[in-house]
Amino acid sequence: MGTMRPRPAGNKPVWDLTTKPTEKVRVAVIGLNRGSAHVNSVAALPFAEVVAVCDIIDERAKAQAESVFKKTGKRPAIYSGDENAWEKMVARDDIDVVHIATPWEWHTPMAIKCMSLGKHAFTEVNCGLTIDECWQLVDASEKYQRHCPILENACYGEEELFVLNLSRQGFFGDLKHGECGYIHDQRSSGSGPKGYTFMDKQREWRRNYATLLQGNVYPTHGLGTIAQYMGIGRGDAFKFAVSVSSPEFGLSQLRERVKPDRDRSQDQKFVCGDVNTSIIKTELGRTIVIQHDNTSPRPYTRGNMLSGSLATFAGYPNRLAIDADNSHPLLDPKEKRNSHHWTYEGEALKKFMEANQHPLARKVGEFAKKVGGHGGMDSLMNYRFLDCIRQGITPDLTVYDAASWSALLDISDRSVREDSVPVAFPDFTRGGWKALKPLPLVS
Amino acid sequence: MNTPDNANRRDFLKLGALAGLGLGLNAIPSAEAKPDPRDLKLLGAHDISVTRPRPSGNKPVWNLTTKPTEKVRVAVIGLNRGRSHVNSAANIPFAEVVAVCDIVEGRAKSAAANVKKVTGKEPAIYFGDENAWEKMLERDDIDVVFVATPWEWHVPMALKAMEKGKHAFIEVSPAVTVDQCWQLVDMSEKTQRHCSIIENCCYGDEELFVLNLARQGFFGDLKHAECAYIHNLGGGVLWSLGSEGDWRRDYHRFMDGNLYPTHGLGPVAQYMNIGRGDAFKFVVSVSSPEFNLTQYRDKHQPNKGQHKDEKFVCGDMNTSIIKTQLGRTIMIQHDVVSPRPYTRINALCGTQATFFGYPGRLAVDADNKHPILDPKEKRNSHEWTYEKEKLAKFMKANQHPLITKIGELGKKVGGHGGMDFVMAYRMLDCVRQGITPDMTVYDAADWSSILEISARSVKEGSMPIQCPDFTRGDWKTIPPLGIVS
Repeated sequence: MGTMRPRPAGNKPVWDLTTKPTEKVRVAVIGLNRGSAHVNSVAALPFAEVVAVCDIIDERAKAQAESVFKKTGKRPAIYSGDENAWEKMVARDDIDVVHIATPWEWHTPMAIKCMSLGKHAFTEVNCGLTIDECWQLVDASEKYQRHCPILENACYGEEELFVLNLSRQGFFGDLKHGECGYIHDQRSSGSGPKGYTFMDKQREWRRNYATLLQGNVYPTHGLGTIAQYMGIGRGDAFKFAVSVSSPEFGLSQLRERVKPDRDRSQDQKFVCGDVNTSIIKTELGRTIVIQHDNTSPRPYTRGNMLSGSLATFAGYPNRLAIDADNSHPLLDPKEKRNSHHWTYEGEALKKFMEANQHPLARKVGEFAKKVGGHGGMDSLMNYRFLDCIRQGITPDLTVYDAASWSALLDISDRSVREDSVPVAFPDFTRGGWKALKPLPLVS
Repeated sequence: MNTPDNANRRDFLKLGALAGLGLGLNAIPSAEAKPDPRDLKLLGAHDISVTRPRPSGNKPVWNLTTKPTEKVRVAVIGLNRGRSHVNSAANIPFAEVVAVCDIVEGRAKSAAANVKKVTGKEPAIYFGDENAWEKMLERDDIDVVFVATPWEWHVPMALKAMEKGKHAFIEVSPAVTVDQCWQLVDMSEKTQRHCSIIENCCYGDEELFVLNLARQGFFGDLKHAECAYIHNLGGGVLWSLGSEGDWRRDYHRFMDGNLYPTHGLGPVAQYMNIGRGDAFKFVVSVSSPEFNLTQYRDKHQPNKGQHKDEKFVCGDMNTSIIKTQLGRTIMIQHDVVSPRPYTRINALCGTQATFFGYPGRLAVDADNKHPILDPKEKRNSHEWTYEKEKLAKFMKANQHPLITKIGELGKKVGGHGGMDFVMAYRMLDCVRQGITPDMTVYDAADWSSILEISARSVKEGSMPIQCPDFTRGDWKTIPPLGIVS
């Protein structure tokens, strides 16, 4: 599992891949449940155009096309009706970027097909479900010299960009530890007649993973941001992970409670423990705690915690503690500090965050909030990614990020199955991480 | 401790331990050989997980009863941490502090004076050299000895106290190594004396509240817990000569793991009935790099630079995950040097509710129909159901009986916000009644064992390390701790 596969002859690294600049980036989107936010984000960008949309359900495709028409005056082509519709769409020669926002099992085959046809594949989380799929993505991206970034919107949240901004400026001192998670009670969603539960048809594909996998089935929302803070793949790399799962109660008890009829959940055996906790060790010795729990009665959190020798940030709610010895130029030298209390939280933190916004948030934060999509994260991410394509430069998140973040899914599953033994990460950069510089403060 | 002679002795003993010649199971070092953390017998990969056979003649002590008494006679060794226990015991009507001991004369006298002030009776005083405690233990008018000395002294003192017929109430961590844990269990079972861990955090308001709810089934099926000792001592206590700076930093020089597991783990283990229906199965542990002790030392050169050659090997942040026999998980962390506020996390996650501490928050499932809930209240676990004022109100309405009984008095007497007093009251009340204290030698051993087990896991590249069963199978049948008062 931790084996580094040799690079197939003729393939070349893509971490600094440049492409031909373009005035208008032409976008297609597959999967319009999650993908509707991408359609909406792209339609609002002056330098992008939604040329085609695809979904297995006719109405969803039509509704998105209509929505684009309303915003831009131009109606994208519609592909729908069967499971091959997307293949017809990606055969078009007027598409630069394909957003893939389908059920997880479709991500890798669609991304590889897109890249083989000359498109950049912007792949929703998780990108690869297995280590093998992760390698397939890396090899396809390197073979076809197309970008294959992971669409990790949580990397473009305001707090996350703020922490990234501080950490790039050395504010945290030596980084030692991070914590993250995807804690989101998804047993039921919405309320009233529109509400549905994990037992309903709409959630069947995702519920099925709880019958197959035993580890962290959705690692990237938390992990992506921590990986960026720490420069994973760019100066540091994941070394191994250990993973432990709690018993399973959530889905079985939900089934008991809602008693679904005419439903395929009846005979399912859920093997995925409710709470999965994994610890990743990096090559530089740092540690990352990452958790997954989507069936427990608790409020949403991604953790978003970063611990350095000179400061500590924790999210949900946001709090920043600064060491008495921290003499970073961002700080008021006259301010007395004491890390036995949170230095900034509530209003004081808001003020400090505002004064130290990431350049991207400063540039397009307001715009993104107006466009919306998970509080603007979706819009900000799409702005930045498509702006990279417009300029012909490498997007912030590469196929190596897609692979190393997604790999935890398979690695944690393996660790849990083998009674929590440490399982090594493969090096998808094939040694490249040692010489790569951390992502600079982009705008 | 840093004299060349001592360094040589250490090297000699370390070689001895490597050759398998470490302290034997029942050997009690005499006080003349001052224990040194480096002399502790760390076990090999195989031995650490082995459940040792019970020596013949020994009997389990999890339900040990003793002769009831009207007045429990208490002695305390180690009056830095121990002065709080002296003060608690002095304020308990059915207890009497008969003797106090510290190597420092001034500390012994001031603790004795405090007792006189509170009770009108002055306890005997032992001080002056490292053997003073042994003289105190020769007395035949002591029921309970509180051991609150540097960690390396805990086990030799507790063993001797039990040999002399006293109950040993040991500060945290009672033992540093798994071998020491077995020594405590075997001595307690041999002498039929209690050997309790005095884990005051098990008697905090919030912890007792969560325990109270957990015992009533409020959380549904328990699945996961989180706890920690995160307390920035790296710019103060760890360098403070004349107290913990004399010895505590030493552990950072030879062990890389969770050096102080019990403050967080004790309460969580109680919520989950560890040792009484469930048990620790294995541990994986991962440490971050070490930065802060070295950086602080280099920048501030504490104590005139005399620590300049100390090399610290303990990673700043240690995270371990414990898997229990029932499959539950416990995440436990240790970080005493990073710039961050104090927390023990104190989280418990069940199918019907979730509690988090620091600050206290409780989320209750929409489906939770527990009788203590208002059935008309609309709930939604996507938000914290109770926090701040609402939680304070709910906590008050659902206090643990112990807090209802003596919480107010505890706050008045003080000691870590009253926890010390509530604990001393309850533990000594058990001895008064002749019943088993809430925390037994099996708890002392289970909770302490994480120290060496985590260090072993870190050393082996975070391999899972199986936990030995200090109850020797009894955890399957020992009933859960009730809601005591």
